[in-house]
Amino acid sequence: MNRRHSLQGRLGLWLGLALTLVWLAAATAAALLARREMTAVFDSTLQETAERILPLAVLDIVGRDDEGVTQHLSAIRANDEIFTYLVRDDQNRILLQSNGANPADFPPWDGTGFRQSGTHRFFNDEALRGSVRITVAEPLDHRAKAARDLLIGMGLPLIVLLPVALGLIVLTVRASLRPLRGFLARLAARNARDLSPLSAAGLPTELAPLAQTLNDLLDRLAAAFAAERSFAANAAHELRTPLAGAIAQAQRLQSESADPAARTRAAEIEATLKRLARLSERLMQLARAEGGRLRLDRAADLRPVARLVVEDLAHAAPPGRIRLSLPAGAVPSDLDPDAFAIALRNLVENALRHGDGGPVEVTLSPDGRLCVANGGAPVPGDALGRLTDRFERGSSDRAGSGLGLAIVAAIADRAGGRLTLVSPREGRPDGFEARLDLPVS
Amino acid sequence: MRILLIEDDRVLGEAVRDQLAADGQSVDWVDRLDAAGAALATTPFDLVLLDLMLPDGRGLPFLRRLRGRGDATPVIILTALDQLSDRIEGLNAGADDYLVKPFDLAELSARIGSVARRYSGNPNPFVTHGPLEVDLAARVLMREGQPLTLTAREWALFEAFLARPGQLLSKSQLEDKLYAFGAEVEPNTIEVHISRLRKKLGPGIIETERGLGYRLARA
Repeated sequence: MNRRHSLQGRLGLWLGLALTLVWLAAATAAALLARREMTAVFDSTLQETAERILPLAVLDIVGRDDEGVTQHLSAIRANDEIFTYLVRDDQNRILLQSNGANPADFPPWDGTGFRQSGTHRFFNDEALRGSVRITVAEPLDHRAKAARDLLIGMGLPLIVLLPVALGLIVLTVRASLRPLRGFLARLAARNARDLSPLSAAGLPTELAPLAQTLNDLLDRLAAAFAAERSFAANAAHELRTPLAGAIAQAQRLQSESADPAARTRAAEIEATLKRLARLSERLMQLARAEGGRLRLDRAADLRPVARLVVEDLAHAAPPGRIRLSLPAGAVPSDLDPDAFAIALRNLVENALRHGDGGPVEVTLSPDGRLCVANGGAPVPGDALGRLTDRFERGSSDRAGSGLGLAIVAAIADRAGGRLTLVSPREGRPDGFEARLDLPVS
Repeated sequence: MRILLIEDDRVLGEAVRDQLAADGQSVDWVDRLDAAGAALATTPFDLVLLDLMLPDGRGLPFLRRLRGRGDATPVIILTALDQLSDRIEGLNAGADDYLVKPFDLAELSARIGSVARRYSGNPNPFVTHGPLEVDLAARVLMREGQPLTLTAREWALFEAFLARPGQLLSKSQLEDKLYAFGAEVEPNTIEVHISRLRKKLGPGIIETERGLGYRLARA
């Protein structure tokens, strides 16, 4: 079913075939008509010839002394006769015969009018009450050749016309499809995040609905992205509120209970709820990173976002643990600030969780490279490659959802950036560094 | 401090209310924006905790209206919306801080303290007043190097004085700081708490203006 058809090829084939058939039918019909006319013309020539020769032959024969002698007429010039004739008397004796006549070709006399044998057409006529009888013969080959010439003459133009017609078809199709090629080139040239409508200008009317359909599709796509985004946000909201209530209650239980065993239980419940909260949040982030639209149509400075995220994370970390360096100038990017915040937050949380407890260095360069580095034992090369897999933890004894780097990798991939993990850090025997190259504008 | 909590989730609201009460704050808890508007119109609150999605509307337009009226009451947003854009929008609407659910109750207490200090004009949690050294964030009070232990109510009163040194605070103003709307207040409660606090702090720190109220003596 997936055989592709060339519009050009099909048009050429079918139009060419139809043209040939119509031409052949017309030529055949014309040839048949012409042949009937030709037969009439040839017959009348045959008859006329006989009627011209007969009086001359009568004169000749009547003036003759001896009866029953065949006279051969020799040609004045050597020529290929088309018409041959025999003049016979009523005893079937040959009185006169033309130069090229072969008596064996002539059938016995059986009255006046047209006759036909397998090879010749004849006309019989008589004078002097049947005592002088003439038979003029014309070979059928002669007529067939004339008919053949006619047919060829009518077929010949077809041989010229067919390639010309096919060439014209190809040129027309090509010219008609040129706007389509331009349309396709424009479509191919747009970037992955461009969901603006396409212009159908210049498209033939038959193809304009294609542009319309594509535009409808783009609209639906944009709506789906928006819906997915709001779904992720709503789902996160719906999950977070009950989790927040449960965690807060577990914390109150710890503060209010005097029983150490009950406090321990409450603390365990709290820890589990927090793990659940982290996991659900990461899953939402991953869904967002993979499904949503990560590049916007306007660019904004990434520095305030980085400042806010780091400030936020610094609340929960010991003072001075996170060191942020930002360039003096703006770092404009069309990356969705929320996506950037998710990536940065995950990288920093990852560094805080898996580092050696030393400072986490966060550096944003003017060229859009975000570096998050921490100390700690170097990560072996094969483990480094697996870190961006889902539910992969650097070391299984550390808490964490195992989704953080997978989320960052998904954001990098979908936003046209690149995530590089380096361990040990450049110029050092240990440490870990995540480099995220972001699209800047 | 008197705090207005606007939160429609019963389980979370209860825990937040109990936490703040244990901190010695007085909490009025409403679960709808119309009730919150009515409470703000009649009572001076020191701080508002605002959820962003409530049954009768969104919190952000409410906050914008509040700020539009010129109300400068500190507002901390408590929300499940965690996207940075939500947050920037919230801060731009006039919020003083933004806490994403789920949060630690201790973190909430700390943020409330830090926002309140910022509003009192001294964001530094370390305050020295005469012989007293106070760490408001850690709730540690030292008198000449000796730690003093205050109850939650006493802390709340002490903070109220410390925020406005030298200013006279009436009994009903102090009751507002300590008790939520509609709570039963025993006739002499404030006097009892003041006298206990005075005993712990030592003489000459809290002065009485008979019939008018109390003030923190200037150091």
